[in-house]
Amino acid sequence: MTLEIGIDIGGTFTDAVCRAADGSFRLLKVASTPDDPSRAVGHALERLLPGGAAEVGRFLHGTTVATNAILEGKAAKVGLITTAGFADVLELGRMTRAANYDLIFGPQTPVEVVPAERRLEVAERIGPDGAVLLPLDEAGVAAAARALAGQGVQAVAICFLFAFLNPAHERRAQEIVAATLPGIAISLSSEVDPAIREYERTCATVFDAALKPVLDAYLGRIESMLAARGVPAPLQVMHSRGGLLGAAAARAKPIRLTLSGPSAAAIGAASVLREAGCAEGISIDIGGTSADIAVIAGGAPVLRHDGSVGRTPVRVPTADVLAIAAGGGSIAWLDAAGGLHVGPQSAGADPGPACYRRGGAAPAVLDASVVLGLVDPARFAGGTMKLDAEAAARAIRDAVAAPLGLGVEEAAIAIHRITNAALAEAVRRMTVGRGTDPRELPLVPAGGGGGLHAAAIAEELGMIRLVVPVAPGVLAATGLLEAPLEHDVAQGFFRATELIPEAELRDAMAALTARCTAAMARDGARPEETEITAAASFLGQGHTLDVAIPPGSATPAADIRAAFIAVHRDAYGHTRDAPVRLVALRVVQRARPRGVALIASQGAAAPGGERRAWLGEAGFVTARILRALPPGERLAGPAILETIDGTLLVPPGWRLTAAATHLLMERLPA
Amino acid sequence: MTAHRLDPASIEIIRRRLDAIAEEMQAIMLRSAVSPIVREANDASASLFLPDGTVLAQSNSLPLLLGCLVPAVGRLIREFPVAAMRPGDIYLMNDPYDGGTHIPDVSLLVPVFAGEEVIALSATILHHQDMGGLTPGSVPTSATEIFHEGLRLPPLQLAREGVVDAQIMRIISRNIRTFDAFEWDLNAQISACRTGAARLAELAAKHGAAPLTAMLRELVRQAEMATRAAIAALPDGTWVYEDQLDNDGVELDRPVPLRVAVTVAGDSLTIDFTGTSPQVRGPVNAAPAGVMAGAFFALRAVTGPDIPNNGGCFRPLRLVLPEGSLVNPRMPAAVNARTATVKVLTNAILGALAAAAPERIPAPNAAVSCIVSFGGRRADGSPYVVTEVVAGGSGGSAFGPGVNGISTDVSNTMNQPAEMLESDAPLRVHRVAVRRGSGGAGRHPGGCGILREYEVLHGPLTLSFRGERHLTAPRGALGGGPGRVAEAYILRRDGGREEIRSKLSTVLHTGDRLVMGTAGAGGWGAPP
Repeated sequence: MTLEIGIDIGGTFTDAVCRAADGSFRLLKVASTPDDPSRAVGHALERLLPGGAAEVGRFLHGTTVATNAILEGKAAKVGLITTAGFADVLELGRMTRAANYDLIFGPQTPVEVVPAERRLEVAERIGPDGAVLLPLDEAGVAAAARALAGQGVQAVAICFLFAFLNPAHERRAQEIVAATLPGIAISLSSEVDPAIREYERTCATVFDAALKPVLDAYLGRIESMLAARGVPAPLQVMHSRGGLLGAAAARAKPIRLTLSGPSAAAIGAASVLREAGCAEGISIDIGGTSADIAVIAGGAPVLRHDGSVGRTPVRVPTADVLAIAAGGGSIAWLDAAGGLHVGPQSAGADPGPACYRRGGAAPAVLDASVVLGLVDPARFAGGTMKLDAEAAARAIRDAVAAPLGLGVEEAAIAIHRITNAALAEAVRRMTVGRGTDPRELPLVPAGGGGGLHAAAIAEELGMIRLVVPVAPGVLAATGLLEAPLEHDVAQGFFRATELIPEAELRDAMAALTARCTAAMARDGARPEETEITAAASFLGQGHTLDVAIPPGSATPAADIRAAFIAVHRDAYGHTRDAPVRLVALRVVQRARPRGVALIASQGAAAPGGERRAWLGEAGFVTARILRALPPGERLAGPAILETIDGTLLVPPGWRLTAAATHLLMERLPA
Repeated sequence: MTAHRLDPASIEIIRRRLDAIAEEMQAIMLRSAVSPIVREANDASASLFLPDGTVLAQSNSLPLLLGCLVPAVGRLIREFPVAAMRPGDIYLMNDPYDGGTHIPDVSLLVPVFAGEEVIALSATILHHQDMGGLTPGSVPTSATEIFHEGLRLPPLQLAREGVVDAQIMRIISRNIRTFDAFEWDLNAQISACRTGAARLAELAAKHGAAPLTAMLRELVRQAEMATRAAIAALPDGTWVYEDQLDNDGVELDRPVPLRVAVTVAGDSLTIDFTGTSPQVRGPVNAAPAGVMAGAFFALRAVTGPDIPNNGGCFRPLRLVLPEGSLVNPRMPAAVNARTATVKVLTNAILGALAAAAPERIPAPNAAVSCIVSFGGRRADGSPYVVTEVVAGGSGGSAFGPGVNGISTDVSNTMNQPAEMLESDAPLRVHRVAVRRGSGGAGRHPGGCGILREYEVLHGPLTLSFRGERHLTAPRGALGGGPGRVAEAYILRRDGGREEIRSKLSTVLHTGDRLVMGTAGAGGWGAPP
């Protein structure tokens, strides 16, 4: 029997899933080990594979190592070489500050990642048409490389103006730096982010370079661990746009891993939806401090090209995941005028909500859940942690109920309603805000808090279907099993479509496709799907929209123009017959895994009595408590399903139907 | 029917919804506009209002523009009573002497209906690339009367029940240089306003118009109470701060004095500009809308960003703007270059308040949003106008050093990427750098200004340069040193060098260069 293992590292827990060929599976949550995240992977492997590892056919990994290295300032020491006159672009950024009305603020750019002394300039110049205006000062590049080496840098980023149109100078500079400093990590802006706007391109390039030594060491540790345990499968890693890469490809462009975990969860949601017969939907993964919302369309997560890490723009294609500061640990507080707010401050895992009794006195959303009977204090996290209902009630009374003249339950309801509205607002931003009607879409709740808030969010937005994963608490890990192997390559253009000969564009598409296929081959796969997309804008606009080009198109330039004019109306409500600019061309290829879906274990419905609980619009009701619901069975609200993996509220008017691979929760017609 | 309960959860939920709607409006403008000043610099703002003109929510964009929408909307609804508005109507205006700020900023308003009744207003303001007048970009530094500055649009009804008045558009098309860009960006404004209106109408349909209105009014009341509480926490007293502008742009050797007295009395705040210079010949006069924006910013910054951002915040504020002065000029004074004036006066208000709350207020920033416009024709004959906004540094504070080269107080625009500028106009950018050493010394030094250098590839072009702090340095605070003054000059192709004394409109030819360095900010505390 062949086993597939997916391991996803999160902030608090490292989640693992091991699936057999028949769809049966084992789940595992082990504590993350932030000092060296690979240790938690070792702990998980030890428990998943006590016998031998010879049967492991695939080993897939999602990790926050890349993002955390940047956010925590633990990336490698990096130097930057720029066009003469532009070393300070990284420091000045776009000149804006994040908070309008804060008088006191610090740097808004990643200046601490590459301080001034590690930003060096060389003479060279490429013009806005890609022509060389000033040849590269090759001796200057070598001198800059030596100067950076003298400062002990472990990686070098090279970002020249207009390199996305003509990468010749960057490539030559790479050769010189490599010859001067053999073995040093180098990243080129023309490869990392071949697109216009030098600040944004520099950020991605600098982060990529700074991550190379970190990811190289980290992936090396995982690989040796796999080798030591005799795991024969090669290491594959989740990248930000929701596909897997071989470890070598991940090392070559680590900036692609910044959204590894959230995109794995979105892939997991897409695959659960597919089992339920849906190609579209919304997933909401609610944890202790934050909630991640992703949109699934056409069976895959919707992508964006203007993502960020922290407040720094990182323009690599990523699953379009909106993270908001709302979760079980979000704190409720009153402003000077008695206005009630929840978050963005969070009690986190430590001290945690008041009911943890670890010293936290501020009331958190989880405290409200306890007061409202939604969470059984004796069975939280599968009974591994006892909660203190008294402490929860006390915190809410002192900080919210008493000052507002409300009862404790009334205050807890207000906290829940605000939280649910904040979550619904985020879902609305990802749907209504983009011209999609959420009422037609199923919602996939995940994470520890997904099942506690999903029905309320659905009711708020008029959604009538929830598709609940078999293992909602480890959706990212299960998503790894479902992700395709995927490579993508891009080329910058920034020219009007009517000025690009069709033959040139056809040749460019063919060349990009060949590069992509070669990358697939290096990971031992043949492409099963090929997608070619153009990022385009009207001449004069600064932001692009994506349009698909049919693979065999004989007139891609004309196709791009026609498609863009239509897409613009859909996106912004107005359009016109005007010249269109091709900004970039991108080819994506995929090969999909052949695995079966996770199958829920069979077993009888396990009743757990009943209790009084606040179930949203219905108010306080007596809810049946169940600990399991076997496939084929139905359950009508009011009820609460408490599994090891999470708590699902089923308010009156909703009905739960268990399938082998998921639960379907539907709102009954009134 | 039972009265709707104003429960705390519903109010907070509505507040979040309003913020999200304003942000959605902002995104539509930013992403679908074509002018570089909008799409790169984000010089546009969106707000929602009650039918009486009280602000409900604002997008997170430029405080300067957000403040300016308030009087514009107030003026539009005086001209066109909301009771007579119909679905599909659109109203607009830009006249600085009738609620506007300066001519390029066009305000646009769409009513929000619940059934037959107007329950709210959805409005945007956007800096249009060109509105006619003496120079491309409509910000001529040599203007001495409003008639030099472009086309004034009084409060107008642009569309009646969905049908745009073609006559208004024809008048505009005959008076501005880049009508195509204007029309496009106006569509972005309309699209944003309509989206905002549709979202609010959905909210009214869900909650009912009357309960929604009650909740909206409660939000405003809460913001007022919270602001009053924050003002009451400041010590009572009157503090005066005096400063000056380099010149008025026309009489280059004469500084323009500015004086503000800020009085905290109980829970209200008075900002009095008595003693400020009479209006001047050049275009640095500020229409009251811009001054209000500066005062709003200072008030919000000092009372705390946690307070919901709506019209309630401004009720405890009283402004005294002497008629015929720099901050309340009479027709037909020129007003296009008011940004620098608003920034200097915002710094002055904060400088006065620093006496009341020294820990919360940093040393003066560079008070610079240097605005540089290039306009001409490309080699193929097509016209272009590009506008750059270049910041200085932010001041040092009790908490740390200032930041180099960053938008401060009422401004929060983005710079133009060199790659975009070179793609849009026949210019080459030779340098984008921190102006090292320009920040004031101090325990926490001030942030440095920015150096930029441009070369003209295809002349002639018209340059309009609106600088500030070339002659008067930003002061330090509590023993900190002043920032270094700005400097700028033109290097002619033949080697000649012409200093720019703060403000200039001139013609540049192929091969000429503009070199500019903005001011650094003041340091905080005596240097160690």
